Amino acid sequence: MNKELRSPLLFIAPVLTFILIFILLPVIGTVVTSLYKDITYLDNKFIFFENYRQIFQDPGFWQSLRFTMFFILVSIPLEMLLGLIFAILIDQEVPYKGFLRVCILIPWAIPAAISSRTWELIYNYNYGLANFICSFTGISVQPVNWLGTSLGAFFSLVLADVWKTTPFIAIILLTGLQIIPGEIYLQAQVDRANFLQRFFKITLPLLKPVFIVALLFRTIDGLRIFDIIYILTHGGPGGATASLSHYSYKYFLAGDFGYGSAVSTTLFIISFLLSLVYLKFGKFQNTLS
Amino acid sequence: MKEEKIQSILILLGSFFMVGFCLLPFIYMLVTSFSSSPDYLSSKVSFGFTFNNYRSVLGTDSLHFMQYLRNSLLISAISAFFCVFIASLGAYSITRLNLPHKMGFLFFILAISMFPQVCLISYLFKLMTSLGWINTYFALILPYIAWILPLCLWILASYFAQIPAELDKAALIDGCTPWQVLYKIILPVSRPGIFSTALLAFIFAFNEFLFSLILTSDHNARTIPVGIALFQGLHGEIPWGNIMAASIIAVIPILLIIIMFQKNIIQGLTRGAVKG
Amino acid sequence: MTKKTVLLISCLVFLFCGCSKTNKNTVVFEVGGAPNEISFWEEIIKDFQQQSGIKVEIIRQPTDTDQRRQGLVVALKSNKNNPDVFLMDVAWISQFAASGWLENLDNYLKADKVDTGIFFKNVINLSDKYNNNTIALPVYVDGGMLYYRKDLLNKYGFNNAPVTWDQLIEYSLKIQKQERKTNPGFYGFVWQGAQYEGLICSFIEFAGSNGGIIIKDNQIKINTPANIKTLGMLCDLIHIQKISPPNIFTEMKEEEVRTFFQQGDALFERNWPYAWSLHQNDDSAVKGKVGLASVPHFAGNKSASTLGGWHIGISKFSDAKDLSWEFVKFTVSYETQKKLAMKLGWNPGRKDIYKDREIKQKFPHFSYLGNIFENLTPRPNLPYYTQISEIMQKHINSALSGKTNPETALKEAELEINNSIKRYLK
Repeated sequence: MNKELRSPLLFIAPVLTFILIFILLPVIGTVVTSLYKDITYLDNKFIFFENYRQIFQDPGFWQSLRFTMFFILVSIPLEMLLGLIFAILIDQEVPYKGFLRVCILIPWAIPAAISSRTWELIYNYNYGLANFICSFTGISVQPVNWLGTSLGAFFSLVLADVWKTTPFIAIILLTGLQIIPGEIYLQAQVDRANFLQRFFKITLPLLKPVFIVALLFRTIDGLRIFDIIYILTHGGPGGATASLSHYSYKYFLAGDFGYGSAVSTTLFIISFLLSLVYLKFGKFQNTLS
Repeated sequence: MKEEKIQSILILLGSFFMVGFCLLPFIYMLVTSFSSSPDYLSSKVSFGFTFNNYRSVLGTDSLHFMQYLRNSLLISAISAFFCVFIASLGAYSITRLNLPHKMGFLFFILAISMFPQVCLISYLFKLMTSLGWINTYFALILPYIAWILPLCLWILASYFAQIPAELDKAALIDGCTPWQVLYKIILPVSRPGIFSTALLAFIFAFNEFLFSLILTSDHNARTIPVGIALFQGLHGEIPWGNIMAASIIAVIPILLIIIMFQKNIIQGLTRGAVKG
Repeated sequence: MTKKTVLLISCLVFLFCGCSKTNKNTVVFEVGGAPNEISFWEEIIKDFQQQSGIKVEIIRQPTDTDQRRQGLVVALKSNKNNPDVFLMDVAWISQFAASGWLENLDNYLKADKVDTGIFFKNVINLSDKYNNNTIALPVYVDGGMLYYRKDLLNKYGFNNAPVTWDQLIEYSLKIQKQERKTNPGFYGFVWQGAQYEGLICSFIEFAGSNGGIIIKDNQIKINTPANIKTLGMLCDLIHIQKISPPNIFTEMKEEEVRTFFQQGDALFERNWPYAWSLHQNDDSAVKGKVGLASVPHFAGNKSASTLGGWHIGISKFSDAKDLSWEFVKFTVSYETQKKLAMKLGWNPGRKDIYKDREIKQKFPHFSYLGNIFENLTPRPNLPYYTQISEIMQKHINSALSGKTNPETALKEAELEINNSIKRYLK
């Protein structure tokens, strides 16, 4: 081999090996399995796109696709908005800055599975915190069955997800805030622009690229939502909150690998297309220059 | 002057809201873990301060709680260590050595980090089964390394890119091999960056749920998120007090890391977030 | 750096050695369930160890049936040699057997001259046979029951437990209204309605003699007028008469239902026989106030009770099959089965226990249960039952939550089930 090439390839080889064996091959394996009838107690049989044909006729699949999409559409704008506010807050030079930053890291760092158990208790019908707050403040006299209605379960999940992921967005946006040169603000102050004007005329436009990165990153991350659903609703009530991940997981568990693989391949295709969008919009070259 | 006053009041109010929002579930978790009856919010019963939840979580062997926690800590630490090591080799190759199509590599790896985990589990399950590794540390550590690798690679690449090229050029002229340059110059210079990356990798591994759910079957390898998700206590119904106590104990290592290394974590995350 | 590397590598090596330990002299037994169930098994294991000198290691699982199944499926699908022995819900046995995960017990039975005639015949035939091989043995049998508050029925002038659903609704409405004056959280009837396997058990009973679920030629029929009527009634219990609490369809599983009733907050409870002795505990608010009856039925029909219960089997991948068999034999022995009844108040798979004098004395209701157990209604006995059940759970739960009406729910369920069954045929 060319001597020039040998060491760069040697150094990147471990990375590629790991990714090849534990990510790329599994994905290819899943795509291949999706073309088989692969059920634990039957013989494997190659059936081309039969699984996909059945998926597209399966109301459960469409329901989970719809849920996943709606979930992203509702939770991510909320997260972006709240994340922006939080980013501005943790960017301020206040004496308690360190404390604010520790606080904002807590939801992000606690494993979702663990915090979801707490949310489960918060939403508990008989003695959860949510119903306590509702009756204490007089919002609702009757306890609310948070996880019991499609809408309630949906927004309960949204809240739990917003809590968990907003900090991450806030920190990404913080990067954007920090690279805005201070002189621009000084100049604006000289021009007697008030802080709202400064925010809308300077901060927001300059934040746009980072904002898009955060948005797209969260979208793709939101597509694979699993943990909080597994714990909070198990996809209920009546399958109303089954995400695509949860839906295909159920088929794996039942021993139907072919069908489960077909569902997750669909999910893979959707998120792959989205990540192409991500790569196109995010200007990553700048990182290394 | 007046405008600044409004601004500072807004910031104060906003901070209160933010702290409340972020901490409320955590405080509820903490408070409930000390209650003998988790239904203390309904008017019927009193709070009943107690340490019993902690006692039964820590003292009941058949709950295997400490084993879950130990598994989690070990698996996350080992994964983080190897991940950072492998990623630093890769990042060095991308930023310092003349790797052709380096942007192509980076994009490829970034795209891979966006694959949904559920697409991997059936194959990983079969792979680990055929190796006989289901329910061992290997079954989790190896996929974790691969899973966190893209993130570490990106962060480290951006750290390495900041080190002045003259440093290692000089070393190369002195006859050092690329390995020596990495080992003697790049790694020591970017030690804070490597440390931040390792912390992030640890937290990501500690958070992981789906792989652990599928690839482990009992306390010999199961990690704490799954342990708590499937937690079964001693006192009938859902043992909320025990679950909350277990959650608090499980969260302590993470909390310590955040409090001690808040600056490193935020710095690492902002590196990974890619400057637009 | 190098020091750390060495340290960590040695850690790994150490772990690797730690993982590959063999336990040829140990039987690994995986079991879950309510807390008292686990402590019972721990006791049994102690006895067994003393008697046979074989060590048994216990793996504790959750109470939730689905989560218990998941734990076993992961281990078995990956051909792990642990656990060796485990308890299975009746509903899983055909999937496990069809997947080839269960050891054929016939040779062991023959060698030790154990006659399967000692068990309930219909239970063995309905659930423990696969291709004419015996692949499991019933440890205990379950059938759905109606628990009621004797004291409250007497207080309001009702002399007997309700026999029909109309009676149950009538009693509930009246008593609930009065009791709420002192206990605002009081409800008439609690049952298992969350989206999980237990919902299907309840539904099979409620729909029971009124039609139920019919399987013929790999086609399932559940969209019948009778089933629609049943489901409509269940929805009305929650939304119209409001005698069942609104969290029935989100949170109510066996243990939640049991504690709800045991706190004195309900008049009627649908549950398995295990709840009986727990209701008689000293810390129970309903101690001595509980009566037991068959699940009500629609007028002009007869009561149905779902076949439930847990069976013991040996893993095909076990590395300690002979020792495991010793343990299986021990669990279905007269002494253990009697202890199961005495300690937990559960219902052994062995018929002869129901005639035991001591048992009859302690549990007068046992002979009554014995009769019911001869005629239990099984769930569909198919390897792909889990998928069918999941679809049914989803649609029935959706109807209970008020999201869809019973007609659409059952229509869609039937359509979806029959579509998916095609996939599971050879």
